[in-house]
Amino acid sequence: MEFSFSASATKILTTTGFSQLAIGDTLMILVACLLIYLAIWKKFEPLLLLPIGFGCLLANIPMSMMANTDAGGLLNFFYQGVKHEVLPPLIFLGVGALTDFGPLLANPTTLLLGAAAQVGVYITLIGAVLLGFNMHEASAIGIIGGADGPTSIFIASKLAPHLLAPIAVAAYSYMALVPLIQPPIMRLLTTEDERKIKMEQLQPISQTVKIVFPVVVTIVCCLMLPGVTPLLGMLMLGNLFRESGVTARLHETAETHLINIVTILLALAVGSSMTADSFLRLETLKIIVLGLLAFSIATAGGLVFGKIMCKATGGKVNPLIGSAGVSAVPMAARVSQKVGSEADSSNFLLMHAMGPNVAGVIGSAVAAGVFISLFGDVPAPEPHAAIADIVGTVEPGIRAAISQVADIAAKAH
Amino acid sequence: MEASFLAAVKISILAIVVIFTVLVILIFTIKLLVKLIPYVAPPPAPPRHQTASSTSSDQDEHVAAITATLAIHLGKSPNEFRIVNISQS
Repeated sequence: MEFSFSASATKILTTTGFSQLAIGDTLMILVACLLIYLAIWKKFEPLLLLPIGFGCLLANIPMSMMANTDAGGLLNFFYQGVKHEVLPPLIFLGVGALTDFGPLLANPTTLLLGAAAQVGVYITLIGAVLLGFNMHEASAIGIIGGADGPTSIFIASKLAPHLLAPIAVAAYSYMALVPLIQPPIMRLLTTEDERKIKMEQLQPISQTVKIVFPVVVTIVCCLMLPGVTPLLGMLMLGNLFRESGVTARLHETAETHLINIVTILLALAVGSSMTADSFLRLETLKIIVLGLLAFSIATAGGLVFGKIMCKATGGKVNPLIGSAGVSAVPMAARVSQKVGSEADSSNFLLMHAMGPNVAGVIGSAVAAGVFISLFGDVPAPEPHAAIADIVGTVEPGIRAAISQVADIAAKAH
Repeated sequence: MEASFLAAVKISILAIVVIFTVLVILIFTIKLLVKLIPYVAPPPAPPRHQTASSTSSDQDEHVAAITATLAIHLGKSPNEFRIVNISQS
C-alpha cells in the first residue's frame, strides 16, 4: 500500500473537525463556553450548568459522535437514560433522601402555597399556545414554572423531546437566577409590615408520622395520577430511606454518590441534545422568554396566596414564604429568609419557607402528573414476563383460556 | 388559534382544580396522621456528671461561644447582656 505525502495530508485535513465546522456548530460552541463561564465564574447552578455546557461543547464538535442523536456515541448512551425516563426519577430518589418534610408536616396548609405557585405553569401554557406551540409542547414549556429541573426534563422527554435542550437549559438557568428574579417581585407584592411578620415556632413531629408520610403520599398521589409514579414514587422512596432509620447505607448512597453520578449523566445527556439543529431556532428564544414568565408568575402566585393566608389567619403567616412554593429547593426558601431578614433582622423564615418549598416539589410533580394523564400515552398493560413463563408451562386448555382473557383485557384497553 | 386558546384555558382550570384537590386531600391526611400519632418528647437524658476534663476554663469558653452566638442572633453587642448560669440537663 502506497502513501503519498500530499494525499495523506489531504486526508488528515479532511478528517479534522475544522473541515466540517459550520457556523451553527461555532455558535453552539460559543453557547457552551458561555454556560461554562456562567457555571464557574458566576456560580450559576454550577453542578448542572458545567456538565450541560461541556456536553454541549462535545456534541458540537463535528465528527465527534457525541451528539445525542449519534447512534453508538457515548452521550447517545447517556441520553437513553433521559429518553427512557430513567435518570430524572433517580435524581428524585436523591432529592427525597436529602429532603426533610418536617416543616411541611408541622404546617401542612403550606401545601396550598406549593399548589398556588403552579399557576405559573398554566399561565405559561396559555402563553405558549398563543405563541403557536401545540398543546404537548406548551405543557412541556409551562412546567418550567415548576422550577424543578428533573420534572421539566421528564415532561419534555415525554411530551416534546425535540424541545428538551432549550427547556432544560431555561429551567436550570432560571433556577440559578432565583435570587435575582424573585426579590423584586416579592418586594413589589408585599408591604413592609407583611415582610416583618414573625411566624410561630413549628411544632415537633413524631418520627412515625415522618415514616408514614412518604407511603401515604405515594398511595394518594400515585393512585390519582399514575403517570407521575416514576417521579413521586422515587422521591418518596428516597425520603423513606432517610426517615425509616433502618437503611442508613442506602440513604447515604442516594443522597451523595447516586445523585452525583446521575447528575453527571443527566447533565451531559441534556448538553448533548444542544446541537445547532435543535437549539438555534426561534422556538428557543420563545422558550427562554416563556420560562422567565413562568418563573415570575409562579413566584407571584405563591405570594398572592401567601397574602390570602396571611389575611385568613389574622396575620400569622408571612406572605414571603409563598414565593418558596416554586420548588427550587432550597434556594427559594433561602430567598424568603433573605428578603424577610432585610425587613427585620430578627425574623427567621427559613424553616417556615421550607414547608412550601418542599410542597412545591410535590406540587410540580402533581402538575406533571396532570399533563401526563392528559397528553401522555399510557401504555396498555402487557403480560408480565413471569406470567408469560407460567402460561408456557400450563396445560394447553388453560393456556387457551388465559389467552382468551388476555385478549378481552387488551380489547377493553 | 382561538380553539387552542380556549382548550388551553380549560385545561389550565381543570389542572389547577386537580392539583388543589390532591394537595387538600394530602393536607387532611397529614392532619389526621399528626392527630393520630402525636409527638412524644423523648425522656430526659440522665444527668451527666461533670467530668474531670470539664474545667472552669472549658466553661468560660462555652460561655464565650454562647454569648457570641446569642449576640449575632439577637443583633446586640455581647456587652449588652450577661450569661449568669448554665445548667446541664
